[in-house]
This record gives sequence, structure tokens and C-alpha cells, in this order.
Amino acid sequence: MTWRHDVSHLLLAGGVLLCLVSVLGVLVMRDVYDRLHYVGLAGYGALLVAIGIVVQESFSLIGDKALATAAILLAGGPVMVHVTARTARIREHGDWRGPHAAGDDPDERA
Amino acid sequence: MNPWLLSALILLAALAPCGIACAVATPVAALAILEVASTLTTAALMALSEGVERQPFIDLALVFAVLSVIGGIAFARLLEHDL
Repeated sequence: MTWRHDVSHLLLAGGVLLCLVSVLGVLVMRDVYDRLHYVGLAGYGALLVAIGIVVQESFSLIGDKALATAAILLAGGPVMVHVTARTARIREHGDWRGPHAAGDDPDERA
Repeated sequence: MNPWLLSALILLAALAPCGIACAVATPVAALAILEVASTLTTAALMALSEGVERQPFIDLALVFAVLSVIGGIAFARLLEHDL
């Protein structure tokens, strides 16, 4: 067992812990907007797992592709969160800008 | 069982509550849970490829990550108006 194994196992444990926290958060939260906060957190868990692989295997075939995978998740996570929140707004109000833009603002009707 | 396989097993086990929650949640909330579950699956595939010492298996995780991002966006766009 070298220091690389120890550090990679530590990073792996941290990544798994972050993923489990994100699962707990997305299950416990009630509102969809609250749940969406945990999508990004899971991406950082995957990043820690990827860094653990790089520490153990160095920049090899698996290390480079693990980093690429984590980069895709980190770059795509905020996009998915934004699109999902936009969908939730549209389903609630008919327009992502809110009830005023959709024309069903109760204050405006009064 | 090495730590990588154990981690993959834990991550895959965490998918079960996500699946149950998806079944009972509203469609948009289920989509948020699906996005977390897809990230978990990607991390599990990465840990599996390292655990079984088959480095080309990391391609599965890479392809899954790309498809999960595209699929999440596609689902969100389709759900805007009740499919």
C-alpha cells in the first residue's frame, strides 16, 4: 500500500459521502427547487471519485477519461438544473418569467 | 472486495430509494431525482471500472455521463407542457 492508495481511497470515500448526502437531500426536501440544489452536489462527488482514480492510476487511459467524465457532469449539471427549474416555473405559472408574464397575476386582475 | 467495488455497491444501493421516490414524486421532482441518480450511476461505473481493473470500462461511464446530461435536458423540455 503506497500513499497513492491511501489518498485515492480517502478521495473515494469523500466522493461516495457527497453522493449519499445528495441522495439524502433530494429525498428529504419537499419542494422541487430545494431538491435541485443537490444535483450539483452529486457532480462534485463524482469529481472526487475521478480525482481518486487519477491519484491511483496517474494520467493514463482511465485517469484522463475519468476526469473527462467528471468535467462533463460538472459542466452539464448547472445546465440541467436551470432547464429543470425553468420547466417547473412553466408548469406552475405558464411562463418561466412568472405569473405576471403569463397574464394570471391576481393583483393585475384586481 | 476492494474499496472501489464496495463504493460502487454503496452507490448502486443508493439508487433504490431514488427509484422509489421517483415513483411517488411529481414529474418535475422526479426529474430532479433522476438527475441525481444518473450522476450516482456515473460515479458507480467509474468506481466499478477501477475496481475490476478493466480500464476500457471507463468508456461506459463517459458515454453515460454525456447521455444523462442530454437526456435530462430532453426530459425537462418535454415536461414543460405535459409531454
